[in-house]
Amino acid sequence: MSWWAIVALAVGVSGQRLIGMFWAGPLLARRPLLARLADLLPAAVIAGVIAQLAFTTNAQLALDARAAGLLAACVMVWRRASLFVVVFVAAGATALVRLLA
Amino acid sequence: MSNPADTDGSAGARAPEPRLADYATLAFTYFTVGVTVSVAMVDAGVSIPTTLGAALVVYSATSELAFLAVKDGGGSTLIGVLSGWLVASRFGLLAVSLGARYRGPLTERIAAAINSFDPNVGLAVQQFDRRRLRRVFWQVTAALMIGWWVGSILGAFLGDLIGDGRAWGLDAVFPAALVAIIGSVVRRRDGLTAALSGAAICCGLIVVAPGGLPILASSLGAVLALVAVSTSATAVTSSPPQEPTS
Repeated sequence: MSWWAIVALAVGVSGQRLIGMFWAGPLLARRPLLARLADLLPAAVIAGVIAQLAFTTNAQLALDARAAGLLAACVMVWRRASLFVVVFVAAGATALVRLLA
Repeated sequence: MSNPADTDGSAGARAPEPRLADYATLAFTYFTVGVTVSVAMVDAGVSIPTTLGAALVVYSATSELAFLAVKDGGGSTLIGVLSGWLVASRFGLLAVSLGARYRGPLTERIAAAINSFDPNVGLAVQQFDRRRLRRVFWQVTAALMIGWWVGSILGAFLGDLIGDGRAWGLDAVFPAALVAIIGSVVRRRDGLTAALSGAAICCGLIVVAPGGLPILASSLGAVLALVAVSTSATAVTSSPPQEPTS
């Protein structure tokens, strides 16, 4: 990885964050309906990240031990467990399924 | 207790402030991410100073991993950079959500934008007033950075000793933490619709769209949730009043 690639990546990544914060964010905040949209964006985007992390391998859909971990995490969140318990149980469930598979 | 003058009338979900154990868990979560990225970089032949420099300057694990994936597959540096930008587009979307409610001096807002990650934005925008939003954002950011830096440095120098974290289920840590972060939001109907739609859109596009695009498209889940809630509210408003039963 060359330094110009690192700088180019940094400019693009930070640039998108700055545009979101200083242009699109305030624009959405001016109208109540769009402000609600901004409120819901993290849930939709983070759920997309969760799906990609849990159900894909090499850009292909995959169902493996991570799904068990995710299911365990969902149950723990539903039962209002603490973040530590959610993470611990999910990692344990994933490791256990791998061990048994 | 929050000061009413600090509230901004946002319709967001309300969550309690994270506790010390939550911050420690978030630090551990980003520790695993830091280790993963550093080990991948060093395995790909990147020097340790460059690995740590990228961790400092690029500030996006997914962008670094996307760049490496393209280069490993024989792609050009330009395509690798473009892929890194695309997968980082979610941070732009998260900054949109943060920018809609974050108030503060210009330099602080610049720093907040550059530090926009899933956990700190996800938890901060659930806070009721702006003072709490700022406090939670920066406290979570501090926890993430401690974990990220310790993980990045250990991964770069001791990656071989740490071994394969998958055997310990560490690859489930980040998604599990994210589920907990949006846990309060998905208890609301619109939040649940946004999350399920976003996940479904992402899964549907994984096979056909280039890396980064499925997550970018998952933002449409928020639009679908708004439409669904508006439609049901309209249906309730326009339905005839029920006759009283005796």
